[in-house]
Amino acid sequence: MSSIINAIKSILHSMLQLFWFGKKTITNSLSIYIKTSGGSTISVDLDPTWDIKNVKEIVAPKLGLEPEEVKIIFAGKELGDNITISECDLGQKSILHAVKIKSRPKLPQPRHSLIDEDEEQGSKPLCETLRDTMFSNEDGSRNSANAEDDSSSTKVDKKVHFYVFCPTCKALKHGKLRVRCHFCKSGAFTVHSDPQNWNDVLIPKQITGLCENSPELCANLLDNLEPTFAEFYFKCSEHTSLGEQDQAVPLYLIRPNLSNVPCLACADVSDPVFVFPCPEGHVTCLDCFRQYCITKLNERQFWQHPELGYTLACPAGCVDSFIKEIHHFRLLTDNQYAQYQRFGTEEFVLRSGGVLCPQPGCGMGILVDDPDCMKITCINGCGYVFCRNCLQGYHIGECDSVEDGLKNSGSGGCYSVDPARVADARWDEASKVAIKVLTKPCPKCRTPTERDGGCMHMICTRAGCGFHWCWVCQTDWTRDCMGSHWFG
Amino acid sequence: MAATRRLQKELGDIRNSGLKSFRDIQVDESNILTWQGLIVPDNPPYNKGAFKIEINFPAEYPFKPPKINFKTKIYHPNIDEKGQVCLPIISAENWKPATKTDQVIQALVALVNEPEPEHPLRGDLAEEYLKDKKKFTKNAEEYTKKHSEKRPAD
Repeated sequence: MSSIINAIKSILHSMLQLFWFGKKTITNSLSIYIKTSGGSTISVDLDPTWDIKNVKEIVAPKLGLEPEEVKIIFAGKELGDNITISECDLGQKSILHAVKIKSRPKLPQPRHSLIDEDEEQGSKPLCETLRDTMFSNEDGSRNSANAEDDSSSTKVDKKVHFYVFCPTCKALKHGKLRVRCHFCKSGAFTVHSDPQNWNDVLIPKQITGLCENSPELCANLLDNLEPTFAEFYFKCSEHTSLGEQDQAVPLYLIRPNLSNVPCLACADVSDPVFVFPCPEGHVTCLDCFRQYCITKLNERQFWQHPELGYTLACPAGCVDSFIKEIHHFRLLTDNQYAQYQRFGTEEFVLRSGGVLCPQPGCGMGILVDDPDCMKITCINGCGYVFCRNCLQGYHIGECDSVEDGLKNSGSGGCYSVDPARVADARWDEASKVAIKVLTKPCPKCRTPTERDGGCMHMICTRAGCGFHWCWVCQTDWTRDCMGSHWFG
Repeated sequence: MAATRRLQKELGDIRNSGLKSFRDIQVDESNILTWQGLIVPDNPPYNKGAFKIEINFPAEYPFKPPKINFKTKIYHPNIDEKGQVCLPIISAENWKPATKTDQVIQALVALVNEPEPEHPLRGDLAEEYLKDKKKFTKNAEEYTKKHSEKRPAD
């Protein structure tokens, strides 16, 4: 009798919900894909309050199995029967893996004891077992501020937070850690132990596990010489999953501010913060990080690092503190990021001995194999042909001196030019004249330099140059310069 | 804006710290990027007066250093006729965003008290300072009496 009343109640309830809240009944349930060991995919709608046992009961018949014969794998963990869906950090269209339990093949794998005891019953999902404190440093070592807080750990030991740059949302988002087999990329993979720090996650082949997709295949691929390894990756937690290829870049220097460290620039305490990879772990708020990048970018003070790319170091000037994951610069706006990419490319071309097309509005980077070749053609750009040495139109013989070049451009009459083009080019020409009159090139890197007061001892401000030179002699700064014309 | 928030904090801290050598800090409500104040040196020959300075913070502060200008004429090897001062702590190469304005002011006061003729901005004064300290001190004292501001009473 009570069941009938309950049924009527629930029907009434759902009708009311439909009536009053429209779509709410739909958004409340999770639309999930379940991949089976046979390779097929089942689409199911799950109520977040259900537990894994309920899921097994739904999935087992579709596989022709009993619920007890199925295990559910998600993010590197076999989930326990009494775990509820809402605990699992699942998003719309997330993928669970359903695998038939079989007698485990005896593979030569080291077994870490961490989750073995729970293995029969399955374990808690990864999002429930990881803690923010583990990921406050690359190698899991804790700084003194954190260590002090450990005694009163309840407040500090929050569930883990990851931040990612999501290429779909094109923004900084919360991220979710996911696990797959390093070799076959299958998500039906259980880890032998949790990652304990960022190095475990970011460096390949740190954590071993069991590939449930095709354990024999993955083991054979390696001739049983090494264990099967887990591969960690991230997803954006804020948009509906677009499938297994939908990944996000971990911005691992952005971290929850566990010990309320103030920003070194504005002194505000905010959360999350940017932690520079220096031994001191200097902290800025995200606003100040952006400001720092923009200021450095506008002055072309980013550093062209041979391995890392166009990057920045800690603003406090710490040694060995370059940002290794350059996707952190995606915190800039699209326009600023485009400028970052352009400057980075230009710097790379120049460092590699290439040239930039001098045509206004072109600026194409050109790499020239032959160091003696002086006639450069802008092949993939505007087609301009110019002299590598003086960057003027290509000519035979010696380059004109700067002064002659300016005079010639004023004489006119020698060739005909589209008048509209001439009008457009005027401002550029005026700027060029101003730059030539007001500046002298750094004798080493040729960056036009303006002297706005003080002595004749110049230090090139271009990132990576820093040449000491004399404004008068336009060569190295020497003791003779200091003696004879330090102040002109 | 990072600059505004940080400068408000720094200004409050400096005003509360009661620095004897930097007084009368004036900041226009509408523009916290420009500060004016009075440097009160302890060492002769500059202890006969006080010197008005202006600190200009760029919009990109603290990622770019502030600029300091003397508004009172001073006879000093490291400060030129235009009032420009060469202070290593705020040069583009040495600047660190974590450097606070009170550190900058302390460095400036130290430089005024103890000139550094090895890194001069006025070669003639540096030479005089090194070769004829007596003459330099006399000139600087006279110059201070003639041009500097009145020292605060306390």
